[in-house]
Amino acid sequence: MKLKDWIAPFYVWKRAFEKPFTVPKPLKERPGSPRYRGFHQNDLDTCIGCGTCSSICQNHAIDMVPVDGIETHKGDSGLRPRIDYGRCCWCALCVDICPTTSLSMSNEYVWIDTDADVFRFIPGSEKKPWDSFKKGYKREEEYQLVDPRRIEMEMLPPEERVKSFLEMVKGYSREQAQKEADRCIQCGICTATCPAHMDIPGYIKAVRENKIEDGLKLMYETNPMPAMCGRVCTHQCEEDCALAHTGDAISIRWLKRYLADQVELDDYSKAMPVDILSNGKQIAIIGAGPGGLSAAYYLRLLGYEITIYEANDKGGGMTRYGIPEYRLPYDQLDKDIEYILSLGVEIKYNTRVGKDISFQEIHKESDAVLISIGLMLPYKMEIPGEDLPGNISGLEVLDKITRGEKVHFEEKVAVIGGGNVAMDSARTARTFGADVTVLYRRRIEDMPADEEEIIDAQQEKVTFITQAIPLRIEQAEDKRLSFIYGLAEMVDQGEGKRPKPVLIEGKEFSIVVDMVISAIGQGADFSFLPMEYEKLFSRKNQLKIDEFFRTRDSKIFASGDIANQTKDAISAIADGHRAARSIDHFLKNL
Amino acid sequence: MMKDILKRLTEKFPISEIEEQRANMIFVTMPKINAVQCISYLKQFEGFTHLVMLAAVDYIEDGIFQLTYILHNYELHTDIGIRVQIDRKQPVMESIHTLWAQARTYQQELKEMFGIDFPGSPDIDEPFLLEGWQNIPPMRKDFDTLKYSQETFFPRPGRKHYDPQKYMKEKLYPDKEPE
Amino acid sequence: MKNRDREKFPNVLNGIPVIDLESQKFLKVWQGPQHPGVTGNISLEVTLSGDEVVDLKTHVGYLHRGFEKLMERRKYLQCFTIVCRICVPEPDTNEYVFAAATEELAGITIPEKAKWLRTLVLEMARLASFLMWIGGQAGALGMGTIAQWTVAQRDYILDLFEELTGARVYHMYMVPGGVRGDIPDGFIEHVEKVMKGVEKVLYDVEIALLNNAIFKMRAKGLGYISKAMVDEYGIVGPNARAAGLARDIRKDSPYLIYDQLDFNVITGTHSDALERTFVRFREMLQCVSLIRQVINKMPRNGAYYTHIPNPLHWKIPAGETYVRAEASRGEYGYYMVSDGTEYPRRVQVRGPSYTHAIAVLEKLAIGTNLADLAGLMVSLHTCPPEIER
Repeated sequence: MKLKDWIAPFYVWKRAFEKPFTVPKPLKERPGSPRYRGFHQNDLDTCIGCGTCSSICQNHAIDMVPVDGIETHKGDSGLRPRIDYGRCCWCALCVDICPTTSLSMSNEYVWIDTDADVFRFIPGSEKKPWDSFKKGYKREEEYQLVDPRRIEMEMLPPEERVKSFLEMVKGYSREQAQKEADRCIQCGICTATCPAHMDIPGYIKAVRENKIEDGLKLMYETNPMPAMCGRVCTHQCEEDCALAHTGDAISIRWLKRYLADQVELDDYSKAMPVDILSNGKQIAIIGAGPGGLSAAYYLRLLGYEITIYEANDKGGGMTRYGIPEYRLPYDQLDKDIEYILSLGVEIKYNTRVGKDISFQEIHKESDAVLISIGLMLPYKMEIPGEDLPGNISGLEVLDKITRGEKVHFEEKVAVIGGGNVAMDSARTARTFGADVTVLYRRRIEDMPADEEEIIDAQQEKVTFITQAIPLRIEQAEDKRLSFIYGLAEMVDQGEGKRPKPVLIEGKEFSIVVDMVISAIGQGADFSFLPMEYEKLFSRKNQLKIDEFFRTRDSKIFASGDIANQTKDAISAIADGHRAARSIDHFLKNL
Repeated sequence: MMKDILKRLTEKFPISEIEEQRANMIFVTMPKINAVQCISYLKQFEGFTHLVMLAAVDYIEDGIFQLTYILHNYELHTDIGIRVQIDRKQPVMESIHTLWAQARTYQQELKEMFGIDFPGSPDIDEPFLLEGWQNIPPMRKDFDTLKYSQETFFPRPGRKHYDPQKYMKEKLYPDKEPE
Repeated sequence: MKNRDREKFPNVLNGIPVIDLESQKFLKVWQGPQHPGVTGNISLEVTLSGDEVVDLKTHVGYLHRGFEKLMERRKYLQCFTIVCRICVPEPDTNEYVFAAATEELAGITIPEKAKWLRTLVLEMARLASFLMWIGGQAGALGMGTIAQWTVAQRDYILDLFEELTGARVYHMYMVPGGVRGDIPDGFIEHVEKVMKGVEKVLYDVEIALLNNAIFKMRAKGLGYISKAMVDEYGIVGPNARAAGLARDIRKDSPYLIYDQLDFNVITGTHSDALERTFVRFREMLQCVSLIRQVINKMPRNGAYYTHIPNPLHWKIPAGETYVRAEASRGEYGYYMVSDGTEYPRRVQVRGPSYTHAIAVLEKLAIGTNLADLAGLMVSLHTCPPEIER
């Protein structure tokens, strides 16, 4: 040992008068670092109560509970996370996975109370000093647990699309579908938005786990036309998808289509074994559209004998005669219909009620009648010159194309309207090489047509003229038509209402075309109902229906487009299902 | 190098499965009766002098426990995992405490946590972590920790969770029956 | 060992010492379960003859939290938040090894930058762990002041962790797929500042402790580990390196970016408590150097995270693996078995103290003084939480 070694112990005195390391709290504040995972903050307005924070929490520290002042509505469950700090481990996985980024953490870490129960609290709802803190753990942009981008669907390029009626959406491969299904966080917010309340998380799970038949079965519990809906559904569910808040919504519709595409029609019975015990009761359904077919399917499963009366030679209603083949190939529609018929549903084609068979006869022979005739009568523009040759309705165009009849599209076509029929007519005309202009009263964002249809039409070089109010049609040279419209300004109608187009006096324009296709909406044709059923109507062309789809005649029910506001296929299917349940209920309790 | 070792190993022992996880990590499966002999061979002649760990995996659906002996060779920086399947109903295995002194700790823990016996291993019947444990060995798959904690402890009152999907159905579209 | 009077040792029957407490030759004393020199709880059942240990038995079970079982009930990403809790002084090794094993089974490659960030965190954790240990080592041999200095420095490293990861102790930073965040602004300067402080304190520690005559005399010859014993007892890390074996996983089978860093394996010769202290002390300086290298060479741009499948239903293909890393105490590894479901079938944690604190300590303790026993225990860098998980 050296002398140095013996002196070494005293060396510690060197530091005796140095400044201490300790921070004397509370005299001196020591805030957490800017990234500190402290107490939770939740922006209640951004939060949609999807409960993903609760599912990822490995400690079961998060409960989803109702909060005063937050209403349950489509896209928001009305629940908010309540965190039990007796269990929380501050891992912040809840923050990482929050699809709306409403949940975050402040850098506050001191909270003292004598009552243990206050540490179970609803961030955002119970006011806390750290609610407004800017610093604290937030999810970094680059670090996202759930992929915000959807798997792109392969489509025919626009220049190919305008050449033929080939289906433009190619559909997912198994790998793509599973990858897309993997993105789903299974919150189930979408289920409430879907008019048919399909178990969307359930069938997406089936895609992910490749349990195709289970998925098909699950879809048929709420929707007996998945091949059709998987293609042309308005997919309101995707608008309310939790992931849509910071990224792309799950491609719910394409996943549905994927499931339906995977099973051949011949294998449906294997996937969904049914055992139908007939109860001998007769139900007549007028109209083989989605509403009628859906009701037929569910009533048949309950054992009823079904006869559907269809005026056309094929079923599907508006989905067949109103949607072009490039969006919904007819064989896919046939697949859905064939399966329903295979259960023993009888369908009488080319039978127009009121002409080929009287309504009284049907009414007499059946235990219940369901009217599901849809809206097949195009509205008129009610402007001068509408009867000039060269005017045609959009529905007529689509109907003729479906039937394989020839429609002669001239060089320049004007399409009036902003709904799906207008878009379909315009795009169909493009397929025949016409130069198409769409005229609409409001703005593009006000168009009732599906957004993707508008985008597709734009890609296919359809011209749009908006805020154009039809005034009159005049005969021009060479059998051409001069379509005269006035410019409108959008007048605000107060909160929650859509602005109204008001004509600006004196601003008139005209466009010279060879053909005017009007597609401004359609109504129902009740002319088959004899006069004695006048009492069923509440006003002109409007059946009076209660919430169980009953009319004023206890044997007559109505569903489909004539019975709802949204007037789309999925709503008709949902109505059909509910009407079937209510018919069953009333017949059982007679 | 590893190939040669594997070749010699397959010549000497009835290896049923070889799985190359990485270039320096190989798992071999062999009958219970040969395992200790093989481990001892690897230690003495092939340079696998380091016992990394001894672990058990409960395959309750197959009625077996899988014991994994991971050995490390410091010269080649290579690992070999010897996998042995033993009957779940009669879980007994030969002890290796004579090869490595620390093996007895692993074996003591396996006895306690899985109920696998290693006759002759020191203190094998003494509790290792769990003093006065009355239940089945807790690392077995049929021991349900959640059930145990619910029975043993009390949940905090006042917790209630609503499932968003079900709650929305209740609020927005409850099943209504016409009266 | 000196030629001692064998009389005071108990008779040995079938390899087991027969201790007859009635004979009044022996005294049973319990050390622990609390001891400031170790992080966690462990108790030593000591049988003494006079003040000399004639038999020792390690008792654990004070900390059993059942992490391995808990993981079997949790999805992979949920496990990530609990693995760090296995070891308090050095949680990041757990995080790294868990993430690496998961990534290996799932076939995920992490971005280059994530590797650098992980290395940085691992080295900072090693340094923090050593700083805590040297305080315990000095305290156990009678010099409490050192702990005041080094634990304070450890706290400054925890400040760095707080800045980088958002938490001081349980960082939960190395998520499978990369890391959770990039280095914040000004972080590099803060690291340099803390490293300077650590170096200054280490310089003081060297003078005050490593040159301290009392410490030297007490630690010298305490707990001698022979080379032969290293393999027989599975001794790893600085304990093995102090015995002259150049074994370091960072060098032998480099992971992350250790092959791009410049460092040597530090070894000793005497293999006693003093030598182990020297080895660990030099490793602390090595950590400082490695942290500086990582900070300087780290790519400034690039991704630090790669998408894993949706963690709510992440299924990992069936398979098993063993992944190891060099922790401050030696080889730390996870044996992970996946059966193709969302939950791991089995995860077993291998901590170095599992052998060091039980089989090795029980062997080395025989013949030491009761007063030196704590010093011996700490010189093996015992960490009870990793024994029980």
